[in-house]
Amino acid sequence: MFEKSLLKNVGKNKSHVIDSYISSGGYDALKKVLKEYTPEELIQLVKDSSLRGRGGAGFPTGLKWSFVPKDPTLPKYLCCNADEGEPGTFKDREIIEKDPHQLIEGMAIASYAIGVRNAFIYIRGEFVLGANRLEEAISEAYKKGFLGKKILGSDFSLDLSVHRGAGAYICGEETALIESLEGDRGQPRFKPPFPAIKGLYMSPTVVNNVETLSCIPHIVLKGASWFKEIGPEKSPGPKIYCLSGHVKKPGVYELPMGVTLRYLIEEHGEGTNSGKKIKAVIPGGVSAPMFPESGLDIDMDFDSLAAAGSMLGSGGVIVMDETTCIVKVATRIIEFFHHESCGKCTPCREGLEWVSKILIRLESGDGRKGDVELLEDLCNNIFGKTFCPLGDGAVMSLRGALKHFKEEFLYHVDKGGCMVA
Amino acid sequence: MAIVTIDNREVEVKDAISILDAARSIGIDIPTFCFQARLSGLASCRLCLVEIEGQRKLQPSCVTPVMDGMVIKTNTPAVVESRRAMLEFILANHPLDCPVCDKAGECELQDMVFTFGPREGRFSDKKRRFHEKDYRLNSVVVKNANRCVQCQRCVRMCEEIVGAVALGAIGRGAWTEETGFVKSLEGCDHCGNCIEVCPVGSLMNYPYRYKSRPWDLAETDTICPYCGTGCHITVGLRDGNLMRVRSKKDTGINRETLCVKGRFGIDFITDEHRIKRPMVRKNNTLVPVSWRETWNCLQEKLSALIGSKKPVGGLASPRYTNEVLYTFQKLMRTVFKTNSIDSSVKFNVSDGKSPDLYEVLGDIISQRYSRVSLSDALDTDAVLILGGNITDENPVTDYTLRYTLSKKNLKLFIASIRPTRLDTDAGAVFRHLPGEESFILAGVLNGIIGSNKTDVLDKTFNNFETFKNAVKGSGNGGLTGLGGFIKDLVSGINTSKRISLFIGGELLRSSGASTSVQMLHNLINILDILKKVVNIQFLFDLPNQLGAWDMGVMPNMLPGYRRLDDSDGKGLFEKDWGVSLPSDAGDNFVRMMERSAKGEMGGLYILGEDPVLTYPDVNVVKDALSKLDLLIVQDAFLTETAKMADIVLPGSTFAENDGTFTNNEGRLQRVRGFHTPAFDSKKDIEILSHVASLTECKRVPSSSTDAFEEILRLIEPYKGINLQEIGGDGTMTHNSKAESLKKLYVPKISTPERTKALRLVTGNNLFHSGHLSERSRTLKALLDRPFVEINREDAADFNVEDGEDVLVCTRDSDIKVKVRTGRSFPRGVAFIPDNFKDVRLNRLFKRGEYPVCVEIKKV
Ligand SMILES: Cc1cc2nc3c(=O)[nH]c(=O)nc-3n(C[C@H](O)[C@H](O)[C@H](O)COP(=O)(O)O)c2cc1C
Ligand code: SF4
Ligand code: SF4
Ligand code: SF4
Ligand code: SF4
Ligand code: FES
Repeated sequence: MFEKSLLKNVGKNKSHVIDSYISSGGYDALKKVLKEYTPEELIQLVKDSSLRGRGGAGFPTGLKWSFVPKDPTLPKYLCCNADEGEPGTFKDREIIEKDPHQLIEGMAIASYAIGVRNAFIYIRGEFVLGANRLEEAISEAYKKGFLGKKILGSDFSLDLSVHRGAGAYICGEETALIESLEGDRGQPRFKPPFPAIKGLYMSPTVVNNVETLSCIPHIVLKGASWFKEIGPEKSPGPKIYCLSGHVKKPGVYELPMGVTLRYLIEEHGEGTNSGKKIKAVIPGGVSAPMFPESGLDIDMDFDSLAAAGSMLGSGGVIVMDETTCIVKVATRIIEFFHHESCGKCTPCREGLEWVSKILIRLESGDGRKGDVELLEDLCNNIFGKTFCPLGDGAVMSLRGALKHFKEEFLYHVDKGGCMVA
Repeated sequence: MAIVTIDNREVEVKDAISILDAARSIGIDIPTFCFQARLSGLASCRLCLVEIEGQRKLQPSCVTPVMDGMVIKTNTPAVVESRRAMLEFILANHPLDCPVCDKAGECELQDMVFTFGPREGRFSDKKRRFHEKDYRLNSVVVKNANRCVQCQRCVRMCEEIVGAVALGAIGRGAWTEETGFVKSLEGCDHCGNCIEVCPVGSLMNYPYRYKSRPWDLAETDTICPYCGTGCHITVGLRDGNLMRVRSKKDTGINRETLCVKGRFGIDFITDEHRIKRPMVRKNNTLVPVSWRETWNCLQEKLSALIGSKKPVGGLASPRYTNEVLYTFQKLMRTVFKTNSIDSSVKFNVSDGKSPDLYEVLGDIISQRYSRVSLSDALDTDAVLILGGNITDENPVTDYTLRYTLSKKNLKLFIASIRPTRLDTDAGAVFRHLPGEESFILAGVLNGIIGSNKTDVLDKTFNNFETFKNAVKGSGNGGLTGLGGFIKDLVSGINTSKRISLFIGGELLRSSGASTSVQMLHNLINILDILKKVVNIQFLFDLPNQLGAWDMGVMPNMLPGYRRLDDSDGKGLFEKDWGVSLPSDAGDNFVRMMERSAKGEMGGLYILGEDPVLTYPDVNVVKDALSKLDLLIVQDAFLTETAKMADIVLPGSTFAENDGTFTNNEGRLQRVRGFHTPAFDSKKDIEILSHVASLTECKRVPSSSTDAFEEILRLIEPYKGINLQEIGGDGTMTHNSKAESLKKLYVPKISTPERTKALRLVTGNNLFHSGHLSERSRTLKALLDRPFVEINREDAADFNVEDGEDVLVCTRDSDIKVKVRTGRSFPRGVAFIPDNFKDVRLNRLFKRGEYPVCVEIKKV
């Protein structure tokens, strides 16, 4: 039987308050780490657990930490990426609002492992409640001695602060997040150097997702092998899936990595709310290419989804029943990316504007002959040439729609209207 | 080193340089938009994408470093297609209004599309339009946002090189607009460097807009006439009329940059006060006459003057070419038999008690001045800037430093009177008053002596003990912050192998100048002995000050710093010129004025200077000039001094003279005339040689070429140079004997006295330089209201507010100006720029009293 870890406190009375957290074993992991682990041993533990980043790219967390130079004279930073902006994704918010201490404890442990003295939580600007909860939780943690100077009597000190974003999706990209945190325009930076070498204030920096960091206390308490035994070998662990769209029971679900999409939707979401057939599903936030119904037997983990031409991304699953116009979906998605394009690089800035103009006219029935081919060509011209993955993500999702539902696009051109409506 | 293969050619390159640089080093060109040498890499346009073996995606060559063994292809179908696609994207929303765009003909987008194509566009929707009309960021920069390609070269230029941070990007995504934000443009330097780097017609030069097309311009490469940095400029004329000034990306010490004066300020050449015809004083009024009449009249007066045996003096502006200045001093020495030749009114204003400035300056300039390029001088560990305002006086040198600081770890120390823009980059900063420089240097020397083994020094200098004791007491003189500054500087020096000193012209203008120069001399000597590699360069605010001295425009030395008592040197010139030369040291300009006031001087020949406006104490200079038997003024403009002359000879500006300037680095650069002399005015060298021909003396050169030949023959630092071979980057003159003098000066160093009183200082500001810039319509429009700048709290003490009209009063005079208050401006100092003719600033000054105590009163 799978037992919830990340969301185990959610639903309890005042789960966000420190006493509630402590009463269910909170901060024990931090105590254990400060007593029993050297930073190197801790990094090894996380490596052994095979934890992969939950922010979207699935990069091995222990490995990322080990890239940080050991030089004790360099300042090092930890930034928690709480900018959760991917449409269809609302898992980090759940942790932040309902169990903020889990994140704080995870950050304290990570900071100890990496040698960080100052850590930051970069939170999406719209998360007002979340930001307030975090501020409160942080001050509680200071009072109890889990943050601040000489934590729990050890030599380890850590200051943690919350920084609220100003409403740009791109600031969830780690280098744009760093730029924004420094007070500059939120646009991605060129890599290399990677943040682990030169990040915030040109110093070694680790950027990790909320969910990633929240896994850490559990790994410490229950061990790397516990973690590894959940789900597939190469991407193990508990995972929070966000279910939305045409489902009966939308919401966040903590399940093992690698459950099938169908299981998630049918067992936990209890199928479509309309009772109609599923037409398509986006498995990992809008950047992830959609699957038609026939693709639902896919395992929800990094490698399986990548092999199937999509991605786990943030784990935001969006279900669409058969009344959905895919052209409209594609248009909305591209409009989102066009709106959120930071404007730095030519293909994303100009390409998405062009693509969105074509889609808008297509959707409203004013498509022209050759538009679908032009769309495909423009996708090729954008893909692989953008500065950061935002532009690629946009194109990938459009390509997914075109791949499985091209006839709907052609229908819009030919008939000047929609196939489903 | 790394070995990489680019387009099947193997090449060995430095580690970690960009693929773009590696490719360009073997002549493979990759198109770029957002890349600009010297600016940080942005990698946003995606034009330079190339294929790297083993990598899935195309990579931006402008920022991707080479790695050993890399195999790069710059011309595969995927690369070619990607370039075409990027250009298609850029063109999609581009207005393509080439027929009315200033940039057409020299537009990078046009050129790029022409080469890499697409031949036709597929975008058929309504184009994005930010604004229907161009809008002005200010009086020189005008913006058309619709044409912008979002390369952010302008933003990076303004922030990283200029340091003004006046531009930023507002909006997001496709609606990003590079422009001013909040009040950022208030800090704009109006340098136009953003215009220069804009690849398209998005930022335009307002004075030039719609006036011409590039192919209608006749362009001439020459050198900026404003400051000693000596920037390379390209002047464009259409039908003989000045249109614009540009800088060239690969040429000159300035590369693509200029300051506001260089880019927008040379329209002074068509100022309405240019003298059109020679003038002769008749019945106490100057009347325009013909050249023939002028020569006749002058001939008479000259023979009377020479016959009178009264001393004659000469004063020449360092704004003239080497050739003109050489000819001028030759004229003075051979025709008028005088060594009383000076090149600036502003120097030697000392009280007369300390030694003559030129006596001590000569040694440094002739023996220890580093004639090395600025970039070589900045290939160092520590830099001290002392006694000038680099940001205002030598803006492009300031840019170069800022750029260098962004690239390498240099320790920078600044001691200046007013804040500079480099302060924030400096390890330590000290605000001093004019005249305190020698005290600061004494403190530094004391610190160095105290923290180094001194037996070598003791062995080398026989007066070391005396010297040591003399600087011992210096301390911090009660000046807040000086102790810390000296401590930081001394430790910076001690931990550096190489040290470069940049000395501002302000140091030479203050009353303790000669003592300061002596202490500078001591510092260099001691650092030399301590085996430091020391570079020293002056930061002059005039284009040819070093050249003027090289040419012998000095009262105590012949050209090439040959001393008057060096019989070989003197013999050399006597032989070459075929005359015997006076052996007594001449007078500097201050002495000339003193003697003239006593009625001792017979005549004065003034070339391009305006002492009536610049000499400290206007009454003294007017009185002195009026007592002369003959005052000749040769100038391009009818100056206040010219108005007092007996004979006015209409000369030229840099725009009508051919020749050379020697900049602060000692770089010899070609000045090329591009403008026909106004009306009856003549080239200066022609006038000088005609004057000589009126006397029975031997001839002086009558052309620039002749003069340069003599310079090459006689002046050591110039020997071996071939004028024809001087390219856009000029050529370095060389020091005959770069060695240190084995002696230490032990001057009397006075401890600074800072009273509560406000001290008035003057100098250049960014928009003006002496009295020349006010003749530029563009510069005058940028700043035409005189002001006094003081600290905010001082303003409160005097009960005045920013922007208010106030009286700045000394004991016996006052002037009315607007007050500007600043937070970072030092307390106790008031600054009035020296360029505003109308305020007659020199009414407030007295010789030897600089800085002068003033009070600020409400009007
Ligand atoms: C356009 C874009 C948006 C992103 N937004 C987020 C986000 O909101 N939250 C997040 O954790 N990671 C986001 N990422 C991924 C981050 O760049 C980064 O990979 C992640 O924070 C690393 O944390 P992890 O290793 O813990 O997954 C985004 C990436 C891109 C390209
Ligand atoms: S792909 Fe380019 S324009 Fe788009 S968000 Fe990334 S950097 Fe900005
Ligand atoms: S003119 Fe100079 S200071 Fe002004 S915005 Fe342009 S680059 Fe910046
Ligand atoms: S204004 Fe010119 S330099 Fe600035 S971003 Fe636009 S195109 Fe580039
Ligand atoms: S820095 Fe000096 S030389 Fe260069 S443009 Fe400005 S005034 Fe001219
Ligand atoms: S020049 Fe390399 S991306 Fe623009």
